[in-house]
Amino acid sequence: MSNPTRRNFFSSVVDGIHGAALASILGSEMFAPGLFAAELAAEEPPKGPQIFDLKPKQPQFPAKAKSVIHLFMNGGPSQVDLFDPKPALKRLAGTAPSRELAFAISNGKESGTLLPSVFEFKPRGKSGMEISSALPHLAECADDISLIRSMYGEHANHEPALFLMHTGRTIASRPSLGSWVTYGLGTENQNLPAYVVLDDPKGLPINGISNWQSAWLPPLYQGTRFRTEGPPVLNLNPRPEVPAKLVEAERALLAKLDEAHRKQRAYQPELDARISSYELAARMQLSASDALDVNKESEATREAYGLNDPATASYAKRCLMARRLVERGVRFVQLYIEDQIFDNHGDLESGLKYACGKTDKPVAALLKDLKQRGLLDSTLVVWGGEFGRLPMSQGGGKPGRDHGPNGFSVWMAGGGVKRGYVHGATDDIGFKAAENKVSVHDFHATILHLLGLHYRELFFDRNGLRERLTDQFPARVVSEVLT
Amino acid sequence: MRTLLAFLIPLTAQIVAAQSFEKDVQPIFKTKCIACHGEVPQGKLDLRTPDAVLKGGAAGAVIVPGNSAKSLLLDKIVTRQMPPGKNKLSDAEIDVIRHWVDTGIQAPAVILPEVPKEREVLAVLQVRCMVCHGGLKQQGGLDLRTMASRLKGGKSGPALVPGKPEASLMYSRVANGTMPPAAMAKDLAVELPTDAETELIKKWIAAGAPGPEPDAKPAPMVSESDRKFWSFQPPVRPAVPAVKNAALVQNPIDAFLLQKLEAKNLTYSKEASRLALLRRVTLDLTGMTPTPAEIEAFQKDTAPGAYERLVDRLLASPKYGERWGQHWLDLAGYADSEGFGQDDSVRPFAWRYRDYVIRSLNADKPYDKFITEQIAGDELSNDWKQLKSTAPPEVIDRLAATGFLRETPDQTNSNERALIAERMNVVADEVEVLASSTMGLTMGCARCHNHKYDPIPQRDYYSLSAILQAAYNPYEWKAPRDREYKLALESERKAVEENNAPLQAEIKKLQAQLDAIAETFRKPEDKGNTKDLQKKYPALATKTKQLDTDIQNLRNKLKPAPHVRILTDNEVPSVSYLLKRGDPVSFGEPVQPNVPAVLQNAALKPYDPKPPFAGASGRRLALAQWMTQPNHPLTARVAVNQIWSRHFGRGIVASVSNFGRSGVPPSHPELLDWLATEFVQQGWSMKQLHRMIVTSQAYRQSSQVTPELLAADPDNVLLSRMNLRRMDGETLYDSLLNVTGRLDTKMFGEPAPVDVRPDKEVVVKASGTGFRRAIYVLHRRQTPVSLLDAFDQPAMTPNCTERRRSNVATQALHLMNGSMSWDLSRFMAGRIIDEAGPDPVKQINAVYLRAYGRNPSAGEVKTGQEAIAEFAKQWPARLAADNSDAPRTTNAAWLALANYCHAILNSAEFAFID
Repeated sequence: MSNPTRRNFFSSVVDGIHGAALASILGSEMFAPGLFAAELAAEEPPKGPQIFDLKPKQPQFPAKAKSVIHLFMNGGPSQVDLFDPKPALKRLAGTAPSRELAFAISNGKESGTLLPSVFEFKPRGKSGMEISSALPHLAECADDISLIRSMYGEHANHEPALFLMHTGRTIASRPSLGSWVTYGLGTENQNLPAYVVLDDPKGLPINGISNWQSAWLPPLYQGTRFRTEGPPVLNLNPRPEVPAKLVEAERALLAKLDEAHRKQRAYQPELDARISSYELAARMQLSASDALDVNKESEATREAYGLNDPATASYAKRCLMARRLVERGVRFVQLYIEDQIFDNHGDLESGLKYACGKTDKPVAALLKDLKQRGLLDSTLVVWGGEFGRLPMSQGGGKPGRDHGPNGFSVWMAGGGVKRGYVHGATDDIGFKAAENKVSVHDFHATILHLLGLHYRELFFDRNGLRERLTDQFPARVVSEVLT
Repeated sequence: MRTLLAFLIPLTAQIVAAQSFEKDVQPIFKTKCIACHGEVPQGKLDLRTPDAVLKGGAAGAVIVPGNSAKSLLLDKIVTRQMPPGKNKLSDAEIDVIRHWVDTGIQAPAVILPEVPKEREVLAVLQVRCMVCHGGLKQQGGLDLRTMASRLKGGKSGPALVPGKPEASLMYSRVANGTMPPAAMAKDLAVELPTDAETELIKKWIAAGAPGPEPDAKPAPMVSESDRKFWSFQPPVRPAVPAVKNAALVQNPIDAFLLQKLEAKNLTYSKEASRLALLRRVTLDLTGMTPTPAEIEAFQKDTAPGAYERLVDRLLASPKYGERWGQHWLDLAGYADSEGFGQDDSVRPFAWRYRDYVIRSLNADKPYDKFITEQIAGDELSNDWKQLKSTAPPEVIDRLAATGFLRETPDQTNSNERALIAERMNVVADEVEVLASSTMGLTMGCARCHNHKYDPIPQRDYYSLSAILQAAYNPYEWKAPRDREYKLALESERKAVEENNAPLQAEIKKLQAQLDAIAETFRKPEDKGNTKDLQKKYPALATKTKQLDTDIQNLRNKLKPAPHVRILTDNEVPSVSYLLKRGDPVSFGEPVQPNVPAVLQNAALKPYDPKPPFAGASGRRLALAQWMTQPNHPLTARVAVNQIWSRHFGRGIVASVSNFGRSGVPPSHPELLDWLATEFVQQGWSMKQLHRMIVTSQAYRQSSQVTPELLAADPDNVLLSRMNLRRMDGETLYDSLLNVTGRLDTKMFGEPAPVDVRPDKEVVVKASGTGFRRAIYVLHRRQTPVSLLDAFDQPAMTPNCTERRRSNVATQALHLMNGSMSWDLSRFMAGRIIDEAGPDPVKQINAVYLRAYGRNPSAGEVKTGQEAIAEFAKQWPARLAADNSDAPRTTNAAWLALANYCHAILNSAEFAFID
């Protein structure tokens, strides 16, 4: 609060806690009696209250990407049917799984046999990256993405796995990736939220609003849901029953009342922030509506994304909105798709065709569009679900696959990411990550790295503990996928 | 000794081609590490040879060959904890070492201690087997908990034949994969034992299955010097200091504060205006704006002591318990739903705990009793165990009090989400709630490792956890549905019976009709019931479709049996372990239930659990008794600091839930200790404490800031003025209702339901007479009320020890454009017209009195008049366009006043407290 009269911030939180600066963490965790006292001698004095805002911040080192589009594929897309060809499964088709593999299925009675993919894999583009026939549009972009085939998670159920992918732990109650990013970097456009969530109008993903919560990070880093039908933000537009002129007149009165109130109360930054937030609300009404108006796009663009096709229209709209948002400086955009569309426990073939049919074309169009506009160099696009699926069948009739957290595929594209590159591998049947394994913490560290943030250095002092997205887990930036 | 020897066997590293130690790794160690980890190795870690690296140091192994991700060495260098100083390793160097660990060095054969200890085997059995073969269930007659019961075995024979693993069913069935049964694993929420665990059981049996060792006396890990830190020492009552300006001292609080101010040549700011003070203290103590009648009464009372009388009145108001109850519910992490996930099911009787809190505060229940009931209400008496179905209110209340430790997310009603890790998470969350709210300790870090800043070894964390593990037994888990205790008030049971009896009679009648129809379809070979017949004969199903629907509709109207959500012990607790790195299956030493060692001192009676009656361990009761000792270092200090922080916006210890070394030192340590000791002397009375705080001169100050004050006391740590603050979400919501006349004052009971609108806004459903206070609104984690959510209502993850106050655009949108504020404004305008008549001046006066608690100035009246006149011009055209039948002039006047009220309710003056 060195400059108590400042009013140039968009919104802020006065935080009651007071980041106690801590002695550096050195040395062994073993300790002898009395060691604490010595360890704490170098403690720095506590700081005063901190003010949090969304003004753009310098990254910790030069960033490769400025913004993120996270295409979250709810349900757990099947790696062996989309990205990770396993010819061995053809050879082993119909054979019984090992006890370990059999134990991995949620309902032991449904444990089937090893199941090869019905989709055909082919080398794509100049890179020769193998992608299956379920993703014909993305296959055209193979030379633009880095595919990681060796991801592994920690939990076979949706809820914990989603928490892990979003917050770095399998438990509820930690801040999400997008909250960390906006905490670290703020945002470029003060008239739009820093962290926008475009969820499917058909319903919330598993874990609902907790996926974009800020938890104990200040609330202004929480994701803001933009609706893709109707007004994008709750109560964005004035009440229709009140004449427009009256809305204006009322605002004028309010401004007068507030200004008079503020004049008698100098040096109150919280009061200033409150008044600024009303000004922003008025500006947001215009900018949010404009940012999300896909009708302003050319017919060719709309067609390319698949807006004119009922199958793709819904997801295409969100992809196009995502591009318009990052174009306007929004830091983090997260997209969801209906229900758990990739959760193909039964009838995998038609399930995957449905899921890919909805998303493949819009996703590929988004990549091409970003590239053509020169935005791909500064935008990081991330595609993936909460886990993959098992290489054995589940259920009778038209078989599906159960959840497989031990090895699955994700991809990234854009600023700072190698193009046409494949990283890591699973075992022969695609059950477990085997080579160059990438943990979710590694994955998060890599995303932060591309944005110019070091996962150890991006922390928040909470009750005397330095909290991080990767918590205290070992993590490693997957340097192999970096340019 | 033999165990120790096993570790001393030299481990020989076999170097393979991939990356050479000498060529690639050693040069890096030489330049960056050997200075400390060479000839005189720090932490006993020598990095000069591969063998030495493999051997590790004082902290144990530093590398796991083939697994860099699990290697401590990599963790230390990757996280830049090592080497200390500026000369860190580059990413490329780290990669070389990583590669060497992953591929360049071969794992020596796994060397287990030659004879595993019984406690290690017990740990494996607890986590993998005892869900079926433990204290709650003995499938096949088998109980694996003790040596005797293992030898006795079950229906299939002895589980344990010492010396003969293959003949011991507890080994052979695990080894051949029949136990635990894969097909049932997920239903039982059990995971497969690892190969190492199976091997451990084998070795133990082969060695003759030695029995448990006697409990070793735990090594001291906390020293006397660690205990010297101020907050671990009992508070000592200081003398009240003398100050220069004694006229400003209303009570000792002022003496302590003025002493520090005067030392800096400062003093208090002038007293706030009478009406500002009325509004402040009313909002503070009751969570709502004062009504015109209250304002009038206060203004008329001009005799000395009027303010003190006002405070007494407010503290006696039932609204006090609703306001301060919310503060306590924040600490407890109160929610009406089980989890965060898809199935965020409602906890039907969670509100009993909320009511218990409100009632306790209104009755000024002494704080020591208040927390004792919440930690161990079930252990205070076993009277409730004798009751069958109905119980008197005080018994229900005492049991509902244990809801304090039942508030965190608990998704284990679903077996799929009830694995050991998730169960331990519930326990950990409860430890956090307990420690952060009542002890001011951040225990969370010690879940995975010794606390880095406070003298809390990991062992002490698990000792505290063990206190709760008697009730939250992670190995023989009870899901929330198994913790519903079927006791209720006579009246509640009656109400349910009166509701259900006629429905059940009707269901029975329809079911008989249904069965009769079904019988006409039955062929001699059919053996099943009606349901089976309906499945077999589609024609029957079609015929009875309507009947089925009717029965289902009737069933839906049945009310669930009332119950109490309680926390109570399993009959016999399992053994609790230190869990290495917090991993629920990496067992360290067993731990005894105990309080943190740093808080055990000569002045306090030790923690000493004794079963108060059969079936209760007394662990929690002993904790409560230990905590509520008058000279406990933390309990009273933490409580008075919490209450202080809610009054002033900042605690004397600013980090209200961290009184440890990494917390913020107290700004006024003597004042804190004086208050803590006074609190205890006054019988732990919270109302007495409030009274003392709000009648202090410090509290009565104006919140005006001057450049001089800002320079001298920038963050107002010295309290040279009052802090200006925005209302929190609940206060704002309640005040909106109060000001506009839409408040339904009904107390207690089932929460007000919420509604999710098509546009996804979550709103509260109105009752017949308006809206209930926010504390009575259903608090479901997945559907927070949008307005309250926007104003920072916490998401309870797992609790909230301190509210944050944001000022963001979504708040403005809710208040400006939301339907609620507009509906309320119109309602308010109607009331104002009823009260004040058609004269705009009188109307404006009434609006100011209600919303701001003061009279408007002449200028403000003029501004208001002009605005209302301007608004009134716009409405007739709109009303005409809408073909409204109502008298347009009257309506326009009403709506214009509604616009005016709407602007007032949106103004900063309404939402901020001077």
